[in-house]
Amino acid sequence: GAMAPGKKITARIKRTLPVRGPQAPTLSELMRWYCLNTNTHGCRRIVVSRGRLRRFIWILLTLSAVGLILWQCAELLMNYYSASVSVTVQFQKLPFPAVTICNINPYKYSSMKDYLSELDKETKKALETFYGFSEGKSKVRRSVDEWNSTGSDFFKQIPLLKFEDFSKTVTDFRSGQKRKIEGSVFHKDSSIVNSGDSNDIIGFQLCDANNSSECALYTFSSGVNAIQEWYKLHYMNIMAQIPLETKEKLSYSADDLLLTCFFDGLSCDKRHFTRFHHPLHGNCYTFNSGENGTILSTSTGGSEYGLQVVLYIDEADYNPFLVTSTGAKIIVHDQNEYPFIEDIGTEIETAAATSIGMHFTRSRKLSKPYSDCTETGADIPVENLYNKSYSLQICLHSCFQKAMVDSCGCAQYAQPLPAGAEYCNYKKNPNWMYCYYRLHEKFVKEQLGCQQICKDACSFKEWALTTSIAQWPSTVSEDWMLRVLSWDKGQKINKKLNKTDLANVMVFYKDLNERFISENPANTLVILLSNFGGQLGLWMSCSVVCVIEIVEVFFIDSLSIVMRRQWQKAKKWWNDRKRDRSGKPLQASDLERQGHDNPACVDEDLPTFNTALRLPLPQDNPLPRTPPPNYSTLRLETAFTEQLPDTLEVGQH
Amino acid sequence: MNLKKYFIRALHRLQKGPGYTYKELLVWYCDNTNTHGPKRIIKEGPKKKLIWFFLTLLFASLVFWQWGILINTYLSYNVTSSLSIGFKTMKFPAVTVCNANPFKYSEVKHLLKELDRLIEAALERILQPTPGNSSENASPPLDLGLWHQIPLVLIDEHDKDNPIILDIFESNQTALVNETAAGNETACSHQGSDNCTYRNFTSAAQAVTEWYILQSTSILSKVPLHERIRMGYQAEDMILACLYGAEPCNYKNFTQIYHPDHGNCYIFNWGMDEEALNSSNPGAEFGLKLILDISQQDYIPYLSSAAGARLMLHQQKSFPFLKDQGIYAMAGTETSIGVLVDELERMGYPYSDCTMNGSDVPVKNLYSQYNTSYSIQACLRSCFQNHMVEICGCGHYMFPLPEGVNYCSNEDNPGWAYCYSSLRSSIRHRQICIDSCKETCNDTQYKMTISMADWPSEASEDWIFHILSYERDMSTNVTLDRNGIIKLNIYFQEYNYRTISESAATTIVWLLSSLGGQFGFWMGGSVLCLIEFGEIIIDSLWITIINVISWCRGLKQKRVQARYPDAPPTVSELVEAHTNLGFQHEDAGALPRDEALPPEPGTPPPNYDSLRVQPLDVLGPDSDVE
Repeated sequence: GAMAPGKKITARIKRTLPVRGPQAPTLSELMRWYCLNTNTHGCRRIVVSRGRLRRFIWILLTLSAVGLILWQCAELLMNYYSASVSVTVQFQKLPFPAVTICNINPYKYSSMKDYLSELDKETKKALETFYGFSEGKSKVRRSVDEWNSTGSDFFKQIPLLKFEDFSKTVTDFRSGQKRKIEGSVFHKDSSIVNSGDSNDIIGFQLCDANNSSECALYTFSSGVNAIQEWYKLHYMNIMAQIPLETKEKLSYSADDLLLTCFFDGLSCDKRHFTRFHHPLHGNCYTFNSGENGTILSTSTGGSEYGLQVVLYIDEADYNPFLVTSTGAKIIVHDQNEYPFIEDIGTEIETAAATSIGMHFTRSRKLSKPYSDCTETGADIPVENLYNKSYSLQICLHSCFQKAMVDSCGCAQYAQPLPAGAEYCNYKKNPNWMYCYYRLHEKFVKEQLGCQQICKDACSFKEWALTTSIAQWPSTVSEDWMLRVLSWDKGQKINKKLNKTDLANVMVFYKDLNERFISENPANTLVILLSNFGGQLGLWMSCSVVCVIEIVEVFFIDSLSIVMRRQWQKAKKWWNDRKRDRSGKPLQASDLERQGHDNPACVDEDLPTFNTALRLPLPQDNPLPRTPPPNYSTLRLETAFTEQLPDTLEVGQH
Repeated sequence: MNLKKYFIRALHRLQKGPGYTYKELLVWYCDNTNTHGPKRIIKEGPKKKLIWFFLTLLFASLVFWQWGILINTYLSYNVTSSLSIGFKTMKFPAVTVCNANPFKYSEVKHLLKELDRLIEAALERILQPTPGNSSENASPPLDLGLWHQIPLVLIDEHDKDNPIILDIFESNQTALVNETAAGNETACSHQGSDNCTYRNFTSAAQAVTEWYILQSTSILSKVPLHERIRMGYQAEDMILACLYGAEPCNYKNFTQIYHPDHGNCYIFNWGMDEEALNSSNPGAEFGLKLILDISQQDYIPYLSSAAGARLMLHQQKSFPFLKDQGIYAMAGTETSIGVLVDELERMGYPYSDCTMNGSDVPVKNLYSQYNTSYSIQACLRSCFQNHMVEICGCGHYMFPLPEGVNYCSNEDNPGWAYCYSSLRSSIRHRQICIDSCKETCNDTQYKMTISMADWPSEASEDWIFHILSYERDMSTNVTLDRNGIIKLNIYFQEYNYRTISESAATTIVWLLSSLGGQFGFWMGGSVLCLIEFGEIIIDSLWITIINVISWCRGLKQKRVQARYPDAPPTVSELVEAHTNLGFQHEDAGALPRDEALPPEPGTPPPNYDSLRVQPLDVLGPDSDVE
């Protein structure tokens, strides 16, 4: 009753929330206690089994069960990020894709005369020198010849060469003279050159303007390829100097290209098409580009309800060296996608009806950590030069263009311009062609790192096309058809159309089934935990509670026991030293209390998180009590309930 | 009273449960349950007890939350897809071949004579607007009856607000000079009425074709079916040679079907009467090889401008919808078609919204008269035709007829063209059909790799034409030419199937094992634990009943014997104290009187395991001093 109020409160707390040490005084006791009381199944068997063999077997079984659990759970964890694929088919009104149509020939040859006459003259000269092809037999216009060339240096710089028998002797078509090639030479495709047995190889040489000993030799097994490549090279130089507005005028207008248009059973005209200038294909026209905010959709499949266009392909106005095939190119793409006509376009034949049946598939991949794809392309360190949504193709082209601008100082003609750059031409960048060819070679060999940087997009739409061709117009309808179509075009040209100038294209949905292939996470956390629970339960009937038990017993309690042991040893050593000094014999009670069974030792332990709350007890209970009999068999976890004497002892020290 | 006693006794007999109070019950439950948490609550000291209590609560709530997620997942009926690719012996697809042109012009010429003269004259007027054409004067007067129903007009839209409409035959020709390139067609619901629409075409070619199709369908719809079949291309004329694998076949192996778009079509391997053929080898040598003649010279000039064979691969016993899925084969070429069978097998309701055989679709399938299976195309067309019959009163020529309805013709249904075109462009009606039709669960598509070559080669041309002409017409004259002859090779590719099949992602077994996994993971529990829990609830219910009864009785006794300070033990308690031996020790633990010993010096009770239970020290300190 004479206690201070603070003491009273602490005493009360101590009484109501008594603090106890570990469940057993020693490690082996603790283990024994654990095995008998744990919720897992194996451990109890170890303790209660009789005989060494049996115990050994149980230990073995328990350990293997633990091993199995660990293994299986590790497997579960490792397979956590796996995806399952689901395919759904939906029948619905489908948005019609954008359809981009180009003439294979980019610009009207008649209007390009001013720009290309010199180049054409060079080309013809080369043809005449090497192959004896004379002007008279060709359909090429004579007017080109009349152009009085001032003689461009650029053609002299990169002439076509004829190689003789793998020697380094070449014939220049301009001078007709033979000379040796200097500098280091490498072939674009050496394997073909070495295996070939033809005598004459046509090619051209590109040299580094700053260092003339650095030369690259490009050879072709056929003159057709050589001439076309060479022509293209110069053509791009010329075109790079022409501003976009002029180029758009030089190319075909919508009225030129589109004769009739029919969509979803209704007539349409050029207003439904959006012009899109492609560097290699000139003016292309995109149907349903979504530019005015609305995207057309079809609610009926079949050829009658798709897009049907009759194209006017003016074959007479084709560039003879640039393009050698006749027709149109068409590509079906999403409104947000850039049409890579040159890469994945479908060619359309003239004098035929091309029927293109579409089947729509939408795919969706899971991004990180399931797979390495990108949702928007925002995480790719390559600037998107195209004003369209991200795709792998866009990334690769942009990456190459960037590398081009960085190392050659100008941009390649076929791809859009990065900010602040301009297209290469040999007036400003005399060295660009050599640079470009070297860079392109690196790009193809994946040395630029573009293929590593660029990732594929996570979601993409695909229109699978089934293309088939019929004769059009049929022989009996040809007559009236051509007359009426000529009348349709009427006001512009007065001649009757030729059927080889016409192409009929039908693009339609074969069916309105949309296939949606999507990846879903195969596992969720809930399923992972269930699987863990299943594994733990199957092998050992264990749960999270057991895990907590294990933590408690093996970490907290064991540690505290070990610490206590050390503390006792230290104390004993200290006492011994003291005693040695004082020469006093050991007291019986001291000896007694050092037994591991002695509960009195219990509270000598180091503070655990339990004992942190411990407060000294009032010392008003001096009556000694007989300690309980020390039968090991009788003592279990509650052997430590008697606390008062212990604290008493603490107080006595 | 007797009854009540009996009832109470019965209750006791039934109960014999783990105690009289909720606390006893709870302690007993915690000690004896197989779930892992509760045991800890009563076995530990007060602080740990608290921790364990909250842990147990936490785990229990976790378990219920996760169970909720799992059950939700199960009820969403997800599917997983498995893909298999390879080659196996498969049924060769049914191959339908048609001519792009439905009828021989020589056979239908007498029917279309008036129409052709009309359109020729109209074209003449359009193309050469100068009067005084000699051919016009020489020809007999035109039958303008057809014309007046649906005239072709020219619309001058130079002035947007006041378009000038010129009927080709009635206007003065000088006005045509100022025309824009707008060939137009108009359709009136009734002659002379105001209910007219103009269908605009930007191209005269389209306008003329559409107009001609509209007129000719009206004329041909009156011709009986057998007559129409006779006017079409006959199998023996069209199919010149056939080879399936190493086995020869001929036109007799083809089933004739009348297709409104393409006239007579012939189906190989339809599987209607005989077993479907299997193909067990990839490659062109083991496929179907056909030589067809489309005789282009006999085409109807204004009806179909594209020339070729129309063919389609489809499943056995399904109707070929050539306009949707058909492909062209060009005359004078050899077309090789490599086939990959792309199958999608779905589970049906409730996993995905599809129909197994179309019986649950609310649209009457008109194509069932062909004895064919349900398909989405059949459903959509039947739906359209049903609408057409409902609204216009007659059936459209392109689709099968419901019973008791006739095809539309200009004579019987003068306004049908207007009705049809407004129905066709009605988005609402299309949407109704899309919503009411369901796709089939097993979707088979034939992915075709098409390649073409010129055929016959110039060197072989002569003898091939000679033989084929001889075989067909028994004449030594060559009756075939490049413009009519088509070679087809249809065969399986090296990998001939790609099957995507669905299986349920979550089955009841999955659900149970996941539920068990969750319960086991957090609490080490099982179904038995749930039963235990249910038992406890029943027990507590009993206790409540007993308590209520004893309380009522106590109330009664209080009124009678208010002089006693304490309520005497109830009968049930007394009885239970003697009968419920199993839980005596619980009583000892639960009742404080054993523990309420003063802290006198003396020997404490021996620590015999069997005698000591947890509640001893749990409850001990509470009643210690105070």
